[in-house]
Amino acid sequence: MSLSYAEWASAVREGSLLGLACEECGHTNGVPTGACPHCGNRDLQQVSLPTEGTVHTETTIQVPPDGFDEGGYQVAVVEVGDARVMGRIADESASVAIGDAVALSGVITEDDDHPAPVFEPV
Amino acid sequence: MTRAAVVGAGMTSFGVHDTPLQELFGEAAFGALDDAGVTTDDLDALYFGNAMSGQAENETHLGPRVASHIGAAGLAVQRFEDACATSANAFKNAVQAVDAGVHEIVLVGGVERCTPETGRDTAAMTRIFASASHRQYEQPTGLTFPSVFALLTKRHMHEHGTTEEDLASVAVKNHANGRLNPRAHFGKETTVEEVLDGPVVADPFRLMDCCPFSDGASAVVVVSDDLADSFDAPVDVTGIGHATDVVPIADKTALTATQAARDAAEEAYGQAGIEADDADFAEVHDCFTGAEILASEAIGFAPDGEGGRYAADGRTALDGDRPINPSGGLKAKGHPIGATGTAQIVELTEQIRGTVGERQVDDAETGVAHNLGGDSATTVVSVLEGRA
Ligand SMILES: [Zn+2]
Repeated sequence: MSLSYAEWASAVREGSLLGLACEECGHTNGVPTGACPHCGNRDLQQVSLPTEGTVHTETTIQVPPDGFDEGGYQVAVVEVGDARVMGRIADESASVAIGDAVALSGVITEDDDHPAPVFEPV
Repeated sequence: MTRAAVVGAGMTSFGVHDTPLQELFGEAAFGALDDAGVTTDDLDALYFGNAMSGQAENETHLGPRVASHIGAAGLAVQRFEDACATSANAFKNAVQAVDAGVHEIVLVGGVERCTPETGRDTAAMTRIFASASHRQYEQPTGLTFPSVFALLTKRHMHEHGTTEEDLASVAVKNHANGRLNPRAHFGKETTVEEVLDGPVVADPFRLMDCCPFSDGASAVVVVSDDLADSFDAPVDVTGIGHATDVVPIADKTALTATQAARDAAEEAYGQAGIEADDADFAEVHDCFTGAEILASEAIGFAPDGEGGRYAADGRTALDGDRPINPSGGLKAKGHPIGATGTAQIVELTEQIRGTVGERQVDDAETGVAHNLGGDSATTVVSVLEGRA
């Protein structure tokens, strides 16, 4: 079963995360892909990823690119079930560290309306 | 086994240049041709790298423009774009073409301008650089390139206990080497305290953990094994490996592995018939201090998890047992994106020839170049050796 960017993006806007599970090698991709990047399997299963997870790594960006008004925001790679996804930590939350528990709390669309998931500490 | 040989090397100083791209490239190209003692009439092809001048300067289709500027219009020119690994990929393709007998003599090089001379300020250039991260799954978070390597480095600190002082020691070492390199962007030494005192760009990286925006060009002349003996100081290309890794970052197997570098190094060392320990020095892609630590482990110069300690203990210094970045690296020499890969080949060539003066590595006979692009998802590793 395939998963398009459009489907993934509308799920993120509605507060859920979709991924693709590979039964050949056990990898779960956190975002759409045409085939498993690790083994090439095209027969991937669309899965609903948990909305609670653990911070795998993080950084706080002080020098933003054009299109983002101010620095001081935190970006994290979050382990959600068997997958990982990149998202923002909510600006109003305390910053998080590797190993902290977080939950999906919203979406940002600051970059030309491209959605990114937002997490907050739990 | 010798696949091809470098017989000429040239580069501009790296820094701020109020000079059009073709003039910058011309300086490096003429330097390489003159060093080899060949003319443009002798060339069979140009392998050319430029990563982002389309975005930064509204300049594309640069191949025939730079060829015309150096008096080589008519030549087949292929242009490469692989973010920061742009000209290493050009070099790989040139070596393969010469090795396969498609060409006998080729020019390989790259050029880029990244400083405000392009008319782009820090925020604009930061966004252009970020175009090498995933448009749909990374850029919308506000990701920048310092933060890409911050994410990888934070994980390394978590898993292996690498410290901010370890990171700073990479900057201190590379600035000390860069001070001995007249073509380096920065000519000033620094200290761990000074690095740790700098403003944070993306934690754990402070300003001095980051390479600068630079302008510059580099070029080398590559010839077949058979032709090489008719040149003065040929340096053999005995191995060149090239691999990619999963994009985006979140879907990689292990964030600290920089797997493409491991795969490329294995391929390059296999062709050269060497182990990492046989190499006398390396030029690695230290776009950020943490990137050098990951690279030093991926190419086998330090055991996994110990790259930070190797730097802090001076083992990767010019007089250490595993010298890394004698040129000053991207950190001090500078990083004009599309020129960086062949600039590493220039440094390897000149180190192996023994002509770099104060920053000479003792008994530099075998050198390794590690040039990565994006989040390290492209990496090219080259092995160069002196001709016996
Ligand atoms: Zn798979």
